[in-house]
Amino acid sequence: MLEWIRFIFTAAFLAAGIFILIASVRGVYKFDYALNRMHAAAMGDTLGIFFVLIGLVFSAPDIWLGAKLVLIIVFLWIASPVGSHLIARLEVNTNPIWEKDVTAARRTIEEGDTHGHL
Amino acid sequence: MSKRNSNWGNTLQGRFLRWMRFGWEPMDVLLIDKMSQDRDESVNDALSAAENLRDLQLSEKYNADTAIEHSIMQELDEWSLSKGRKIVNRLYALLSVTLCVTVILLLLETVIAMPMRGVAVSPTNNEVSQRYIEEGMEETGAVNIVAGMILDYRAFDTLGESTVLFIAACAVLILLRIDRDKDGRPTQELIAAEEDDRSHEPKSDRILQGSAMILTPVVLLFGIYVVLNGHLSPGGGFSGGAIIGAGLILYLNAFGFAKASRFFSYKTFALITLLSLSFYALAKAYSFYCGANGLPSGIPLGTPGSILSSGLILPLNICVGMVVACTMYIFYAMFRKGGI
Repeated sequence: MLEWIRFIFTAAFLAAGIFILIASVRGVYKFDYALNRMHAAAMGDTLGIFFVLIGLVFSAPDIWLGAKLVLIIVFLWIASPVGSHLIARLEVNTNPIWEKDVTAARRTIEEGDTHGHL
Repeated sequence: MSKRNSNWGNTLQGRFLRWMRFGWEPMDVLLIDKMSQDRDESVNDALSAAENLRDLQLSEKYNADTAIEHSIMQELDEWSLSKGRKIVNRLYALLSVTLCVTVILLLLETVIAMPMRGVAVSPTNNEVSQRYIEEGMEETGAVNIVAGMILDYRAFDTLGESTVLFIAACAVLILLRIDRDKDGRPTQELIAAEEDDRSHEPKSDRILQGSAMILTPVVLLFGIYVVLNGHLSPGGGFSGGAIIGAGLILYLNAFGFAKASRFFSYKTFALITLLSLSFYALAKAYSFYCGANGLPSGIPLGTPGSILSSGLILPLNICVGMVVACTMYIFYAMFRKGGI
């Protein structure tokens, strides 16, 4: 009985994660602009991998393996959004169409308002 | 330059060389020299006029030739832009497909000719692998058979691999490092490179800095764990060194070169890699000299499974890990800015 419950949870989470990953890959190819594509890729990197790893946690043979997988989730949730943020930042800083916004944000920073930090 | 005889052209060697180059007889050279000395001014003028005329004719001929060449080239250009491009594209596609199909067929042929997997008589199941699996733990003291393989049975090969990494780092240093000038002042190129790097560097990015504050110690610790646990679990010097190098690169990205150069400079790189490689070479030389063929080497193997076991494998793993980490960091720094 318990085995079956574990199997169902594992399968459900893995299926959800794979669905989100496929959707994110579709989004990467569907969108044209770098920021949109990065958004789709970041979704897959966080939520899709989260669901897949949670599914693996349910199927783990002992509790320590599950704990290690949770640590991997924590690592990925810190690292991968930061990576997406850096890509977006590079795009905004180098693409000429954002130049007005970037200079406006710089000006607000120079005037002391650090909340609009870029 | 060494000193050369001022009359070098008339020495035996010089004449011989000229004869070799132009097919002149050495006697001719002497004769011509003598004639040119004997010639008086009027003859010289007439000669130079004749030479001028010949030059003019030659240059006219040359111009005509180049005009013909030019027109041919233009025709070729037009042809290659219209009809030739189609032909070349089709030929390119055909050739690439042919090449791919040939390679695929060759590889498939090789795969078919290889012995079946899992058959008892196939050469992969010979006595060597059986011996490694059965007696490897006893002989090397390492629970991880792969570590015992690459750092004990085939340690010489691994020394070559680490040396290749070191040489690659040195070559990248030679090619990409932007030096200061003789007086130690930064050159224009260095200033330009630093300016360019500063405009692209994610400077004072609080999100990156905050996550790097959390992640860098964890990454470095995990890398050290992988290196130190190389003889007990999957991992070892190469993978652990790569993890440590990635942690260093993350720190560099978050906090910049000024802070990273406090603990990692050219001196650090040279010291660490040199010490690691020489220790590796010395330790393995001792081990080959004294420990081969079952001779007692005096290095205790310890109980398999404990952290201080398996003789030389643990220090060798540390050496390899340090070399790999330094190489990764140097590669990144060189390709990014051309300096540390």
